[in-house]
Amino acid sequence: MERVRNLTQAYSQTPWRKQLKLIVLFLLCVVFIALIAGIYLDVTARAATIGREILIMRTEIEALELTNADLTSQLAVLNSATAMRPRALDLGFVPVEKDEIMYVVVLGYVPPQKPDLAPPPAPTRVIAASLPADYKQSLIDWFREQIIPTISDALEVSP
Amino acid sequence: MNTESTWRYTFLATLYSLMAIFIIGQLVRIQTNPEQVEHFLGQAKIYEADLRPIQPARGLLYDRWGRLLAGNITVYEVGVELAQVRNPHSIALTLNVVLGLDYAQVLDAASQEVSPEAVYVVLADYVSQEKIELLERYSTELENSTSRKKGEEPPSLQGLIYKPHLQRSYPEKRLASNVLGFVNREGLGYYGVEAKFNELIAGKTMEVWMPRDPNLALELPEIPVGASIILTIDRAIQAEIEAILDAAVEANGADSGTIVVANPQTGEILAMATTPRLDLNEYWQYAEVFKGSTPFNRAISQAYEPGSVYKVLTMAAALDAGAVTPETIFLDVGVIEVGGIYIYNWNSAAWGPQDMQGCLQHSLNVCLAWVATQLGTKNFYDYMRAFGIGRLTGVDLSGEVTGRLKIPGDTDWYEADLGTNSFGQGVAVTPLQMVMAVSAIANEGKLVAPRIVRSFIDKGNQYDTETRIVGMPIKPETARTLSEILARSLEEEASTALVEGYRVAGKTGTAEIPTPYGYSLSATNASFVGWGPMDDPRFLVYIWLEKPTSSPWGSVVAAPVFHDIVERLVVLMDIPPDDVRREILASH
Repeated sequence: MERVRNLTQAYSQTPWRKQLKLIVLFLLCVVFIALIAGIYLDVTARAATIGREILIMRTEIEALELTNADLTSQLAVLNSATAMRPRALDLGFVPVEKDEIMYVVVLGYVPPQKPDLAPPPAPTRVIAASLPADYKQSLIDWFREQIIPTISDALEVSP
Repeated sequence: MNTESTWRYTFLATLYSLMAIFIIGQLVRIQTNPEQVEHFLGQAKIYEADLRPIQPARGLLYDRWGRLLAGNITVYEVGVELAQVRNPHSIALTLNVVLGLDYAQVLDAASQEVSPEAVYVVLADYVSQEKIELLERYSTELENSTSRKKGEEPPSLQGLIYKPHLQRSYPEKRLASNVLGFVNREGLGYYGVEAKFNELIAGKTMEVWMPRDPNLALELPEIPVGASIILTIDRAIQAEIEAILDAAVEANGADSGTIVVANPQTGEILAMATTPRLDLNEYWQYAEVFKGSTPFNRAISQAYEPGSVYKVLTMAAALDAGAVTPETIFLDVGVIEVGGIYIYNWNSAAWGPQDMQGCLQHSLNVCLAWVATQLGTKNFYDYMRAFGIGRLTGVDLSGEVTGRLKIPGDTDWYEADLGTNSFGQGVAVTPLQMVMAVSAIANEGKLVAPRIVRSFIDKGNQYDTETRIVGMPIKPETARTLSEILARSLEEEASTALVEGYRVAGKTGTAEIPTPYGYSLSATNASFVGWGPMDDPRFLVYIWLEKPTSSPWGSVVAAPVFHDIVERLVVLMDIPPDDVRREILASH
């Protein structure tokens, strides 16, 4: 009790202390808000940068797919029957006649099989839809999710 | 703090407060006014995302060994982003020189004022990579050029946009064009495999709402590409067959030609060549190549009266039903009356006593008409239907026709038809129907559905098609007996179809061509059907030359083509001569 009285007396004798306390409190709030804002900006900026990179990569994938299709077709043109035949003839090859063939039994030889052109199994991909919300939501979303239900619960409990 | 300072601080605080109140008031006003809300939401929507149609890459077509027959290449849409255009004159001039576009039209398009209706204008599409590289080079050169006149807009291609997309490409050009079909610029398949499986190959075009918010970048859906198809066609065999066909058509002065090579045991079509053929990369030449009612693929879309090759089916039916045996003797007096009409032999001669081999070897119409009468009308047509005549084969190609088999009960069927049908006149079949029907004789009586698709590749998996046995029109013994008769016929006739070292069976056909005024006396259809090796048939070849002028006879114009084809087939299919094969089998 004595201590409280001393403190009251000290404040009444030095009113600037009250102002200082208010200013410090205000500055603390400002620093806290700035801190939160800084974190928020950092997180959203990073998310935006990654998102932009994803968009750029998607464009690159599309470009690579087009290039891939182009190169496949170009290779097929170079290997086409109409292109290969004159090239083979120019190199001195001639079509083999049936009488020129000698058939030899080669044990273990496996004749050409049906081609397997299905692409190899793709690595497991995590698609966006299956990502947990924690990885996608913004700070505001998180606050909304955490605080709004708490407030509604509190309102429901109170008569 | 003096009074003046207090007044200033109060004034500034009031001013800033009023400004804040004004801003907050505006915010409240905008957000509570329904019209304003709608307007700004609409504005936000415009910049929020793009609605982008995405056409998945069209699936590829391969030959049986995985060699590409139809792929895709990158082409470009060229347009102008009106807001960025600096010098429409430069754009119009450059596109006129490089792409051959009309200068005035491009200038008009590129000079438009930007409006909600006009933001981007398409100037050209399907521009090749080389042309785009040329445009880009010009663009760089113009940007770097320093020669500018005062007051004049510097030359620039700024605003010119190139949007890449895929276009169908056929590396083999004309090869197997009648089987593949083509795809137009709207992505729609025409004829052949491209039309038959258009929906499967094309995939599903989707319109995707692509958000500009980078935080939503992950939400884009994956759009699967179209399914790819591995065909049963062997590119090497197809190329050889087309070369042989073209040579035969030219050498014999034929109007057209068709050759089908199939594996009679599996129904796989190894080659299907017809004339004319189209460079599929220039499909717009279609009307010039296929004049009038010329079908895209005669092998499935043109029915014709096959003539004596059809006798194989008549004899198969009669032997199977027991109406005749190989030893049955028929006294050929050169003419027979069936249903009120007289039927004569091809040379109008009487051939005297003939067994069934003799009837086929000398291709005697009179004998086969008699055989059909011995078989009976109902039996004859039941067998023909069992062989698949008059019905679609069900091959995976677009544009197949049924042909025509008149049967008792049809308004246009007469008793005389039994006689003429027995030797392949008065009945219309497609070459592929004949391949399917005759395959049953080469394949121990089993009727196998012809197929052109070996495998589908869809969503990362390969699905192989299976051999489909669709019937058993004759018994295995009948098939073997008839094959032997036909092989001996060729050997005793010393046919030009024979191939040294390989035993083959076959039959020639020469058919008169029906016209609105009766059968033509000057033109014929020459055909040949044959298969081999006899003890293990690996190929069946059907040849049809339309209206040859060098000779009307199938034995003269079509049989040598069979010989040439088999000489190449045994090499390309690694089939050793019969004696070598037997030796190998005996040693293992």
